Amino acid sequence: MTVIEAPPILLEDTPLSTAAGGLYRRQNALTGLIAGIVLGFIGWFVSHKLLQGSNFGSDMVVTVTMVGWVIGFNIGVGTFNAPIRWMLGHDQSYEDELYAAGVTQGKARYWKFCTDHKVVGTQYLVLVMVMFGIGGTLAMMMRTQLITPHSSFLSPNSYNAIVSVHGMLMIIATIIMVTGPFTNFIVPIMIGAKDMAFPRLNAMSFWVVVSAVPPLLATFFLGGVDAGWTTYAPLSVQAPAAMDAFSICMIVFVVSVTVSGINTLVTVFTMRAKGMTLGRLPIFTWASVVGATLSIYAMPALLITFTAMISDRVTGTSIFVAAEGGTGWLWENSFWIFGHPEVYIILIPPVGAMMEVASTFARKPLFGYKVTIAGFTAVAALSLMVWAHHMFTTGWAPDLAGPFMVTTELISIPTGIIFLCLIGTIWRGSIWTRLPMYFVYLFLWNFIIGGVTGIYLSDVPADNFFHGDMFVTAHFHYTLLGGAMIAAVAGLCYWFPKISGRMLNERIGKTAFWIIAIAIQITYFGQFWEGFEGMPRRVAYYDPIFLHANQVTSIGGYLLMTGFLVLLYCIINAWRHGKPAGANPWHAKSLEWKVPTPVPMANFLVDPVVTSDPYGYGEPEPDGVDVEFPDPDRELVPTLSSDRPVSGGDVL
Amino acid sequence: MAEEEHGVDEEAPDPDPTPELKPFFSRAGGKIFIIWLAMTAVGVLIGAYAPHHLLPTMLSTQGTKVWETMVLFTILAAPVAAFVYAVGLYSLVGWKARGFGKSDEAPPDGPPLRGDAAMTGLWLGISAVLVIVLLVWGIGEFTAEQTSHPDTLQVNVTGQQWLWTFSYPGAGNVETRSLVLPINRPVQFNVTSVDVTHGFWPAALGVQVDANPNTVTVIQATPDKLGGFTVRCSQLCGLYHSLMYASGAVVTPQRFAAWLHSQGASVAMAAQAAHVRASTT
Repeated sequence: MTVIEAPPILLEDTPLSTAAGGLYRRQNALTGLIAGIVLGFIGWFVSHKLLQGSNFGSDMVVTVTMVGWVIGFNIGVGTFNAPIRWMLGHDQSYEDELYAAGVTQGKARYWKFCTDHKVVGTQYLVLVMVMFGIGGTLAMMMRTQLITPHSSFLSPNSYNAIVSVHGMLMIIATIIMVTGPFTNFIVPIMIGAKDMAFPRLNAMSFWVVVSAVPPLLATFFLGGVDAGWTTYAPLSVQAPAAMDAFSICMIVFVVSVTVSGINTLVTVFTMRAKGMTLGRLPIFTWASVVGATLSIYAMPALLITFTAMISDRVTGTSIFVAAEGGTGWLWENSFWIFGHPEVYIILIPPVGAMMEVASTFARKPLFGYKVTIAGFTAVAALSLMVWAHHMFTTGWAPDLAGPFMVTTELISIPTGIIFLCLIGTIWRGSIWTRLPMYFVYLFLWNFIIGGVTGIYLSDVPADNFFHGDMFVTAHFHYTLLGGAMIAAVAGLCYWFPKISGRMLNERIGKTAFWIIAIAIQITYFGQFWEGFEGMPRRVAYYDPIFLHANQVTSIGGYLLMTGFLVLLYCIINAWRHGKPAGANPWHAKSLEWKVPTPVPMANFLVDPVVTSDPYGYGEPEPDGVDVEFPDPDRELVPTLSSDRPVSGGDVL
Repeated sequence: MAEEEHGVDEEAPDPDPTPELKPFFSRAGGKIFIIWLAMTAVGVLIGAYAPHHLLPTMLSTQGTKVWETMVLFTILAAPVAAFVYAVGLYSLVGWKARGFGKSDEAPPDGPPLRGDAAMTGLWLGISAVLVIVLLVWGIGEFTAEQTSHPDTLQVNVTGQQWLWTFSYPGAGNVETRSLVLPINRPVQFNVTSVDVTHGFWPAALGVQVDANPNTVTVIQATPDKLGGFTVRCSQLCGLYHSLMYASGAVVTPQRFAAWLHSQGASVAMAAQAAHVRASTT
């Protein structure tokens, strides 16, 4: 019997003809920008000429312009190449696919429509950091305005516009902060897949979000959205044309999240390696699955709501205008039917990521694996039935306040179970205090505060005082920033060596950690204080009795920004000059640590066979996830998908 | 708290370098118990102290319930939160793998505890009981708020961008810019808006409800202390949302009648609305 001794051939070494890729060769973010501006301009020109003097002129013009921008950008960047060629009757060649997957491995692929899930994950990571940077800057502007009771730093209109965009930008960024970078980059490797199930949809989900952000920022130049991120009707129906751009941003964002959620589900359920049973999936994969399921349920509500909003504004349908037969409560209901599940779409994936971190750095198996999954599922299911706790004080259906109070408070039971599993994982562990673990402890500290203050708000009589008050702001910043985002940072510190191939400098990272940890307590303690005293949310001016609380909050806010800037420096510094990381710097057991760093194009040179779950710490046999090499004669050449014939003998 | 943490630090034995299967509770349990007791005490103290001193002086029975709820919920949540904090804090001293903080080598593995049915059940039971207590309290309070009283004073509240208008149907619909209420008499606010959604929030009364256009929403309160307060708007309502406020006061029935008269109600009507004899105005 002949044994093949040759080393496995990497896809990266595949020679491509100069024609490979076709249109993709010429497309990148810049062509997208140009095409977007051109089509946006055409849309503006045509609608402007046609609709001069009409009732809804400026709203229609903004809507058409923004739709033109989004479509133009995606044409220019290459989102529609494959579907158009498919419709024309000739699919892309295998070489084109290889080119689109970034087989040339140049830095340029990060600026292109690239179907490699690792590139998409990295693109998402950078996008999320940019969005956090913009959102954080807006927050600093608000805190600067609020240092004194009647500051003239911002006009009331600018202040309201900043409130709205800060809110929505941060919501978008937190929704994609884990599902974008880590679900895309890590989950396929974790489950032993070579890519996501739908690589083109994956790249599309990224570039569609990129095209959704400029309309949101354009609201500043279109009069500003003065209705907060919740944009309650009828105020939002009367708002300046900025509201049309805001609605287009949301509709386009829903497309991205839905596409990415479906992609995650199909990937996890159909692309798992041999032996990777559902009971052996790493908990982060489960968290991504639960988050994706929830987003597929919740996002359509947002799509419908904002479509109706545009229809109200552009065609005068009056769906949300009480004076003309509609009702603002319909807006509030359908917004929160999206809005409350959304909180858990944000929260569950980072918590899953953090539990991987906890297990690795406590050197212990995950405590209560199945109980944790049950906890995630129960939280997700209950979160579908709690939306009206945002409406306790609206006057809508007072008789339902009781039932919604029940469902809301019931959520604390599965949440508590997830906490028990986290605590149980740390229990009697061998705590390895490296940087990622620091953020796990910060999550524990913050989320307890966020959770307990949530219990007050779930109580109708107490909410009658606190609703619409800075207490609510402090509560959800503790859960979403102090909880979800800190858990996401834990995940970032954990997977950064795999993503970038380099180690973070822990001295700088721990400096950032301490600044952030302390600043969160100061900032949101200040906001709780404002809330107790009765300061309403979203105010540009306030009663001088709230002065001290506001000054504390602003000082904490600046400190928080400093902390995040240090963390950003830590990341950029590591990306450029960091110590090279090996394949498995944390000595973890899940599959993503079994592949080399940097991860090769198709992740696995041979198909892995999984024999146990990845939490076998301290257990003698079998030793965690193991990659077995089933047969050295077979499968030495990885292909993009197993059923596609490899074209051209030179590849083989 | 910091001292205790320090104390534990000194007493903490080095972690067992060769972990083996031990009973779920080890000697660490006692120390965690002490930290837990101390942190529970801190939580209870915060619960007893903070709401009372941070909330504005509440002028109604509903407002008093707000801080009572805060106190009760904080005291109930304290043991649970303290348990998580106690385990977290203890783990950083008692279970820390010393000497590995900067090491690229992983410390030896911990014991493979994959779950504990009894502990999970206990935790589930405790949290279920706590949630039931919260619900019984919350629904009890909430139903108490909804009972109406025949002697209720009606006040119509209208929000518009960006001011509040109050009118007293019992006193000939006299319209005012400030909200004055008699003490110890239930009041019902009938709230509406002429333009966009506003939030009617007399904070010191501990109630609020949105003012929606074309709809009347209702909320009740019973002022039981004399004093001044501010009515604010709690729902972002456009450009000058932050300047949308009105002053309010809880006064004696006599002064209430006098105030109604000063706002344009006739002496007889003011006296009747305030339930006082006309001569006292």
